[in-house]
Amino acid sequence: MLRYAIKRIFLLIPILLGMTIIVFSMLHLAPGDPIDLVVGPNVTPEVRENIRHQYGLDRPVAIQYVSFVKRLLRGDLGQSILQHKPVAEIILEKFPVTLELGLTSLVISFLIAVPIGIKAAVKRNTVTDYASMSLSLVGMSMPTFWFGLMLLYLFAYKLRLFPISGYGTWRHLFLPALAIGITDAALTARMVRSSMLEVIRQDYIRTAHSKGLSKKAVINRHALKNALIPIITLLGLRIGWIMGGSVVVEIVFTRPGLGRMMVEAILSRDYPVVQGGMVVLTAAIILGNLLADVLYAVVDPRIKLR
Amino acid sequence: MRKVFWEGFLRGPMRCLFAVFLALIFCVGVSVAPTGASGKKVIVHGMNQDPDILDTIKAAWYSDALIYLHDRLVTRDYNFQYRPGLAESWETSGDGLVWTFHLKKGVRFHDGSPFTAKDVKWTFDTIKTPETASPFAGDLKAIEKIVIRDDYTVDFILGYPFPNLLFNLSNTAAGIQPENCYGKYGDDYGIKTVIGTGPFIFKEWIKGDRIVLLKNPDYAWGPAWMSNQGPPLFDELVIRAIPEETTRFMELETGGVHILRDVPTVFVDKLEANPDVGLVTESATKLGYLAYACDKKPFTDVRVRQAINHAIDRDTIVKFIFRGKATPAYGYLPPALKDEYLEESEALAYRYDPAKARSLLAEAGYPQGFEVSLAADNATLSKRLAEVLQAQLAEAGIKAKIQLFDSASYVAMLKEGKQDLFIRLYSWPNADILDWFLLSSQFPYPNHSRWKDETTDAMINGAATSPSWEERAEKYREVQRYLIEQAVWCPIYIPSQITAVRKEVKNFKPHPWMIQYNDGIDL
Repeated sequence: MLRYAIKRIFLLIPILLGMTIIVFSMLHLAPGDPIDLVVGPNVTPEVRENIRHQYGLDRPVAIQYVSFVKRLLRGDLGQSILQHKPVAEIILEKFPVTLELGLTSLVISFLIAVPIGIKAAVKRNTVTDYASMSLSLVGMSMPTFWFGLMLLYLFAYKLRLFPISGYGTWRHLFLPALAIGITDAALTARMVRSSMLEVIRQDYIRTAHSKGLSKKAVINRHALKNALIPIITLLGLRIGWIMGGSVVVEIVFTRPGLGRMMVEAILSRDYPVVQGGMVVLTAAIILGNLLADVLYAVVDPRIKLR
Repeated sequence: MRKVFWEGFLRGPMRCLFAVFLALIFCVGVSVAPTGASGKKVIVHGMNQDPDILDTIKAAWYSDALIYLHDRLVTRDYNFQYRPGLAESWETSGDGLVWTFHLKKGVRFHDGSPFTAKDVKWTFDTIKTPETASPFAGDLKAIEKIVIRDDYTVDFILGYPFPNLLFNLSNTAAGIQPENCYGKYGDDYGIKTVIGTGPFIFKEWIKGDRIVLLKNPDYAWGPAWMSNQGPPLFDELVIRAIPEETTRFMELETGGVHILRDVPTVFVDKLEANPDVGLVTESATKLGYLAYACDKKPFTDVRVRQAINHAIDRDTIVKFIFRGKATPAYGYLPPALKDEYLEESEALAYRYDPAKARSLLAEAGYPQGFEVSLAADNATLSKRLAEVLQAQLAEAGIKAKIQLFDSASYVAMLKEGKQDLFIRLYSWPNADILDWFLLSSQFPYPNHSRWKDETTDAMINGAATSPSWEERAEKYREVQRYLIEQAVWCPIYIPSQITAVRKEVKNFKPHPWMIQYNDGIDL
């Protein structure tokens, strides 16, 4: 398994390279010049050229890319053009804000989705099943930002139970985590249900029933464990996604996280920040997948990772 | 069916879960009571943007925090008159080339060091050094050198007469920094440390969230035109960055923010109905206009430019797009610039008259009109404005195709000179905005209307280098008269500056430039 993990981590390199090439070329193809936002138009051409040179923007894009990769290999993500400080430092500041929101929403999502999914599967084709699956369809169709705004409107604006925006305390975290958690739970619940349904149909479940085990024991001890495998995959995928997937919620709730940082950097054409942010997000997604694979093997001894 | 669906749904573990969930929302919500019980007086000021850096020398966009952290040599009073600040008084030589500033004594920086002429010289020399790449350097072109006469007297030697120096020295960017603060505080200056002489002291900056300022208890050098020269009356000023406009509005209504500058017009009705919030409406030093590439056909012809001016119904725009929270514009400067604004702009300008527009176009050789593009940024208001302009231009026979851009692409497009018709809004409290946009030395950007005209250059340069403020104002009025005649732009509206202030805030006085938090404002 260790060999497998190492192999996968090495696979990171070509993926990151491919991603950086795409991001690099897209950024430089887009019109706009970061220098405009740093100094404004009222400076002499010499000063502009000075800054351009300082950030290496006067060189051909291909060469800029090579030096970016070289620096990346040394672990250096470069310097933000607008904020006058290292990109790594900026990302480190934002990372905990996004992670906190992501993990909380993940926990909320699984707490809601797993019981609902199981219940729906066990009571297949009953009112419970239809009701939970229609609810989940509603949840899936709801855009997160709209749901976030609704929560904000009801719990923070009308009932005044929570602060409207900002971050720092549990009270600031709860509504955004709920917004992502609930919309996410909708999808997860469906996954749990279908995976559970598949397991329930298996012979060993029928055997468990016929040897006289209580329904509860069959579900919890025999069925759930086996139904967990696809759900773990989902968990691994989500861990990568939550790092970049909460952009809109971060903006609606004014949380200074990675997603908002990326949007602002893209709008102001702060190239190093966008590139550095993308590297971190890609790595998070790949490592999330790796984690899922490893968990797989842990949960199901039949799976051997090579 | 045996039972209602939710009865089955909410059974056993589901019911527990649901109950726990609801309980959780309320517990989390109620458990921690809102802060403010500590007895400290904290005023929260809401802004739409967080700065990139808190350094007046390097910043390209200035957070309001910089106004309160630093003092400037010259201040602007409630009538936008230039009055003593850190400079007790000043005089100019007869030729307008030497300005002598006499500095206040007993002023101290937040780190305890005394304020002297050295700090003034260091601040402006650093801005003017090309290596600093200060965005403000261009505004100080007129200054040739700064000479220290003694600790409290400093001479600004100019290359040419420049009465607008008073404006530039009272700008946010002209905040006085302690000598050699970069050497002393290193790369963290403007990020983790900011030192000024202002009424508020820097406490912390949580990037993307808030800047926290503490009152400066030693402050005793407020300008004479304020009712209070001492420290601010409240303890903390928090400047929060809330980019989403709906979120800003909800924060204001629920008391998370006390003061909001630039309230969007869509929220005005709701706020007017809220007894906890007061609105202060003034005419802003902004101008929204329709411009065109004057060096391209058909805009090279003054009759075409005049036709466009005749085609636009400003009253309708103000009434329906801005819900009356704006006034129609006819001149090139906002009327709030009392000294320089040309009073007869409206009388001289081109009234709404589509028939006249069509006949001018026919005279210019376009009896069937013509087809052009109409560029705008992708903000909601600009989109709506573009649509109305498109309809009004069509009445006169001009078929305009709307193109929308994000702000960085918009600037890139204007620099490349791809524009025909385009919408812009400027925000600037000084007549030198005309130099900025219309001198041929500013071509092709920011002179995006591509106006290269020797007469304009001579008139503007003459105004800018007049020996006195009064003469300068008179000459700028001449410039505006000429611009109206040439129809270089089509001015459309002056937006209203709407500031929302919660009722808890006492002694709020509207100031034409910035809120004066140390002039008696309290909770």
